[in-house]
Amino acid sequence: MPIPLPLGPDGFIRDDRKKHEFLVPRRAFTSPEVLAAERERIFGKCWLYAAHASELSAPNHFVSRRVGGRELVISRDDNGELRAFYNTCSHRGAMVCRQKAGKSKFFVCPYHGWTFNSAGAMTQQPAESGFPAGFFSDGAKDLTQVPRMDTYRDFIFVNYDAHASELVEYLAGATEFLDIVADQSAVGMEITEGNHEYSMRTNWKLLLENSADGYHAMTTHASYFDYLQSTNGSFRTDFNPSDIGGTCVDLGNGHAAIEYVAPWGRPVAQWVPQWGEDGRVAVAQLMADLVTRHGAQRAERIAEKNRNILIFPNLVINDIMALTVRTFQPVSEGYLEVNAWSLAPREEHPNVRKYRQYNFLEFLGPAGFATPDDVEMLELCQQGYQNLPEPMWNDISKGMSKAVNGSDDELQMRTFWRRWNKLMQA
Amino acid sequence: MTFTRTEIEDFLYHEAALIDEWRTDEWQALFTEDAEYLIPPSENPDADKNTALFIINDDFHRLQQRAVRLSKRTAHAEFPHSSVRHMISNVRIVAQDAREVEVHFNQVVYRCKRQITDTYVCYVRQRLVKNGDSFKIRSKRVMLAMDTLRPQGRVSIIL
Repeated sequence: MPIPLPLGPDGFIRDDRKKHEFLVPRRAFTSPEVLAAERERIFGKCWLYAAHASELSAPNHFVSRRVGGRELVISRDDNGELRAFYNTCSHRGAMVCRQKAGKSKFFVCPYHGWTFNSAGAMTQQPAESGFPAGFFSDGAKDLTQVPRMDTYRDFIFVNYDAHASELVEYLAGATEFLDIVADQSAVGMEITEGNHEYSMRTNWKLLLENSADGYHAMTTHASYFDYLQSTNGSFRTDFNPSDIGGTCVDLGNGHAAIEYVAPWGRPVAQWVPQWGEDGRVAVAQLMADLVTRHGAQRAERIAEKNRNILIFPNLVINDIMALTVRTFQPVSEGYLEVNAWSLAPREEHPNVRKYRQYNFLEFLGPAGFATPDDVEMLELCQQGYQNLPEPMWNDISKGMSKAVNGSDDELQMRTFWRRWNKLMQA
Repeated sequence: MTFTRTEIEDFLYHEAALIDEWRTDEWQALFTEDAEYLIPPSENPDADKNTALFIINDDFHRLQQRAVRLSKRTAHAEFPHSSVRHMISNVRIVAQDAREVEVHFNQVVYRCKRQITDTYVCYVRQRLVKNGDSFKIRSKRVMLAMDTLRPQGRVSIIL
């Protein structure tokens, strides 16, 4: 199927390094044909975040969810091995798992009773007659496994392309940032109870751009900063708003991150007066443990810097006033679904956990003081694209003329689009 | 002293009218200083607000700030204000003593903005404390009777 985007010397984007101008065609956000091509060339080829190992902490634990538009069951089988299979019966296709999460040795298809174990192998079907001997014995009627599954520091990824490169190779420079996230605990990170499942009436790529966009903070989130300023002790006492600075780095394969000074409290590990004396003691202990495990310099980086991490194509890990693992996928060219989880050290002190969750929902949640305004902005963009075929291009040039981009430049988005452009022409 | 359903309903309708008419400053004044306004995760209405990730977990300060924020042009999701209507029914008094009453009810909230109407189906547990001729709200726990926030995508209004 031809992709209805204007093809130029740089492909579907305009990447003019002399003029320092970077343009993205708005039709990339509005075209069903573009989405169909993305499903094949991006969601069908890239490693996609599926779950965190802490959600599957013991044999026969499972989660079921949509990953890159497909319905999966991720389970830990009886032997403790992680498995990923398509949530569809090998008989007529009904979904065999109807719960979001749980513990079960078996998945019984509700339609005709075909039964599979937690490794996806068929173990039983209720009819004795009608099938020749041995019909089920060669594994041919097992649930279909996802072609590839692998984990990095407890982050579980799947890939629908059997020939894809290894996960760690795919993650490239992003492993440095995933390490910083995973190293926040001595015993392992965990997904906490309660997640945010919401949606936006926008193209999925708008949320990717928005999730590490330092440039929009002071306008889109002006009311959030007003709130912080009116809340005693929620900012670092020595904080200077003009001094966030920071850097943006291209991590390879379309991944990117921004890293900058945190003006607010960080559960690992930057105390602010709002957290009180108990909180101060708990955070000081966390910092001391970080120094012991990682040395002073790395401990300081982990504790005091914010990081917004984009992992191509649809995983965002924002290590800011809380730690969100956010993934999203297109349902149609103008509608996406978001799943967001709060990740925390398993051994976290209750006082710190309390502020972590408090911070998370305040900024990152769909009823917080910031995310609803992001949703609004992205929906205004999507609606603005109704003006096509007139204004045809989005501008993503900020920082292009600089040797090093800051957290409020746009290198992270250009990194995404350059990769997108390459894969879409493959 | 016994509270009647009628006087409870009068108060709930008054609160709903303040929200629907965007009189957010008067709405926040309905709460006690030790109040909480909560939306727990859909899977677990009884979740602990100090350990689980809630959708809303406001103490009095934060709900006051929520009211202030919603009156600003920079609360972009609600500028201009969406059109909001609360429908309250199935009001039941489940416990009461001389000063406090626990009331449970169902509510459906409609939000309309830019030609899209979203529906929020909720049930609410509210704890009211007697305050002169009326009440103050000590706790408002709104449960979403929906398994996700789709397609609404946000709770930018007061439920």
